[in-house]
Amino acid sequence: MKRIIYVILVLIVPQLIVYTLITRFDINLGSDESEEIELVNYTKKADKVIRKVVDHAKFEVLQQEFERPQDVTLACLSCHTERHHEIMANNHWTWDRSEKLANRDSVVVVGKKNIINNFCIGIGGSEKTCSRCHIGYGWEDKSFDFSKEENIDCLVCHDQSGTYVKAKGAAGYPAVGLDLNLISQSVGSPKRENCGVCHYWGGGGNNVKHGDLDDAMNSCSREVDVHMAIDGEDMSCVECHKTENHAIPGKVYALSSEDKNRVTCVQCHTEAPHTDKLLNDHFQRIACQTCHIPEYAKANATKMVWDWSTAGRLDEHGNTIHESDADGNHNYLSIKGTFVYDDHVVPEYYWFNGLADHLLITDSITETPVQMNTLEGSYNDKGANCSTGSCSKIWPVKVHRGKQPYDVVSKKIVQPKLWSPNKGDSAYWTDFDWDNSIEAGMKYVGLPYSGKYDFVETEMYWPLNHQVSPADKSLQCTSCHSSSPDSRLANLKDFYLPGRDRFKMIDYAGIFLVLFALLGVIIHGGIRIVLRKNCLHDNK
Amino acid sequence: MKVYIYKIFERFWHWTQVTLIVLLAVTGFEIHGYYELFGYREAVMFHDRTAWAFLVLIVFAIFWHFTTGEWKQYVPTMKLVKEQISYYITGIFTGAEHPTNKLVYNKFNPLQRIIYLGLKILVIPVMVISGFAYMYLNYPNVAVELSGLGLVAAIHTMGAFFLIVFIIAHVYLTTTGHKPLSSIKAMITGWEEMDEKEAREMVISEMEYSLKKTKEHFLSEKDSSAFLDKALEETEEKLGVKKVTKFRDVIANSGAGYFKIDSTGHYIEVNKAWVGLYKYGSIEEIIGKHYSLSRSGNALKQLDETFNKVLSGETVEHGLVIRKCKDGSVGYHTITMTPWIEDEKIKGVQGFILDVDSTNAAKMEWDNN
Repeated sequence: MKRIIYVILVLIVPQLIVYTLITRFDINLGSDESEEIELVNYTKKADKVIRKVVDHAKFEVLQQEFERPQDVTLACLSCHTERHHEIMANNHWTWDRSEKLANRDSVVVVGKKNIINNFCIGIGGSEKTCSRCHIGYGWEDKSFDFSKEENIDCLVCHDQSGTYVKAKGAAGYPAVGLDLNLISQSVGSPKRENCGVCHYWGGGGNNVKHGDLDDAMNSCSREVDVHMAIDGEDMSCVECHKTENHAIPGKVYALSSEDKNRVTCVQCHTEAPHTDKLLNDHFQRIACQTCHIPEYAKANATKMVWDWSTAGRLDEHGNTIHESDADGNHNYLSIKGTFVYDDHVVPEYYWFNGLADHLLITDSITETPVQMNTLEGSYNDKGANCSTGSCSKIWPVKVHRGKQPYDVVSKKIVQPKLWSPNKGDSAYWTDFDWDNSIEAGMKYVGLPYSGKYDFVETEMYWPLNHQVSPADKSLQCTSCHSSSPDSRLANLKDFYLPGRDRFKMIDYAGIFLVLFALLGVIIHGGIRIVLRKNCLHDNK
Repeated sequence: MKVYIYKIFERFWHWTQVTLIVLLAVTGFEIHGYYELFGYREAVMFHDRTAWAFLVLIVFAIFWHFTTGEWKQYVPTMKLVKEQISYYITGIFTGAEHPTNKLVYNKFNPLQRIIYLGLKILVIPVMVISGFAYMYLNYPNVAVELSGLGLVAAIHTMGAFFLIVFIIAHVYLTTTGHKPLSSIKAMITGWEEMDEKEAREMVISEMEYSLKKTKEHFLSEKDSSAFLDKALEETEEKLGVKKVTKFRDVIANSGAGYFKIDSTGHYIEVNKAWVGLYKYGSIEEIIGKHYSLSRSGNALKQLDETFNKVLSGETVEHGLVIRKCKDGSVGYHTITMTPWIEDEKIKGVQGFILDVDSTNAAKMEWDNN
């Protein structure tokens, strides 16, 4: 009895203690829901004190009868003097900026003004409609004067009446018949709706371009966007895109190239937001967005594919055709071609170090699909000093795949003229003639066109940042660490990922050795049992 | 028969190692993606904690091995390796003896020595180093960062498979002891069941080991056997195992009669017990007399035959014989007679007689028939 107790004490109890310590003790798997999330540089909604500091309705200058919207601007500037310098330096106004493209030596001036994408291709020749999203009045063509401060549209960003709206095809001018007194007296810090009117609706429809910026986010649930949810922190855009003196941080890699002026999760959440060190370590090589934006286009579908080559089909009366898919999203428009929309989309994943290249209209095509804005990065790109975060991280990306016209002789993507208020003006959307529209477009941007076009497949990358999901919806370990073809990183093959990757030869050899050992034991033991008399050292 | 083999730390170490290695294997292969048991995140966390626990245990074990000198158990030898292998391949099936015995200073057979040493200095260090590198050097926030996990993962996986194979063979070979479960029981209780022969060798080895150690304590040119004798005697007394007594004393105390007869058949030497059994008055009374006076009739004839056999070099162990005492009465005894050799020549015979009382004598006679 004494010996049994002794054996239990010495051999079994320590094992239980060891096992318990390892598997149970202080098991903190960081279920963040119960814990208060630690934040810096942010005041929670509940703690915010909102005071109205000024009532614009009381200002006489805003009670005058405005003849032109420019008069509102001048009224603003009469008090807010010199602000026009700030906004006129902002690329919301310039639609370009000097950027050094990744892997290129020269600095180029790129922006919405001259970049080409695989949505509406480019604004060249169609400014009058595209500039509906320009914070100015009157950008009809190249003659627009970017130095004239009265052309600044203050209201599109600052209107709080919810009644301000820019007219279609009107070079950025507001719709006719607006109450500019009401609007100008309502002004305040931009709300989601102000930013959203362009940033949600880019590409010609709600959530078309980004996939993670959707009209629904004006009033959404935590499932759609944990930050902007009305039942949550109800954050506006500018609470992250903190703006001082009209300098708005944040950039989209559809246009930008350099790793600067970015808005990050870290500004509030720090570099070590998890209780689990292992998860915090992941931050070194994985963007927060990768795990915390498990899917995008959660409220409304986004455009995944745009095939221009099928455009131009008209019905028997020569009228344009609108066709929609089962969800009510366009899948064919005569003016634009065939689309594929999708919602609740699983992102694609790429290494990304914050630098991007862009296909300029002067660049020749060297590969298909044509890469519109290559995101730089690889596993081995660890930057000069990785701990600063400049090394490549895995990012979730919306990839928009297109098929668009190019010059088969010069092997360059072409800029067709798309829009005109009148037929017979060579605009594709009115005339449906590619040759004419490309010729007109290329002539407008001052580039040659051989006269021969075809369509080429293109890919454009949109790193995702918005529509962050609640913590319990974020990706789990096996979302990536899995050998299943459903692993989120199944296609990111340039490194060894535990749980996903195995060396087949080692595994086969190992399994073979184990089976061989087992077989040996069975045979050896079997013989011993059969010859029991002689064996097992029981000579008696 | 049971012999104490495994000390308490050794057993604690062994079974804790079992727990940790099993946990490492189970969580490790989950991380490798073979199955889902704890959950990936938990598996990683447990694997990490277990690794640290294992490291602590290794430090303790290293300390123990060096302070107790047990590290010598792992010094490899090629002696008897072949025999050990051939025992496992063939001998074990025919009931052959183990080619090696467990000795105190040599608990492991030569194969075990090589394999365990290999584990200790190759597999375990490689697993520990590759494992901690895998776990902690994979992100750029450390001074020394791996260029990728592929290499350490490959090494770590190979080591894991090797350890699984080792465990299979190791567990199976525990069944090749005295009885199938004796080795496992020994690792639990410390006491291993052995057959008598092996146990004896174990005990001898233990004594030998102690004596050798004792000898190491004094270095002297002088013959130290007397010193050792004395020490041994005292030790025996302390332990109460007073068994190794002097040969002469054995004879003196046992009541066995001793005799020595020359080649012509005349007594040269007898002891007191002999004189007593034959009822003579003194030793001198019998010296120089012929042995024929000790028997009568057939018994004498038998003794003549035995005497001649022994003179020609044989050793004869007789069963019951009837002796003729001085006063003419008879007695019973057994007799062992061996040649008396001096200068490589048989000079005569010598031997012992052991008295048998009449009751036992009758029984022995019955047994013989």
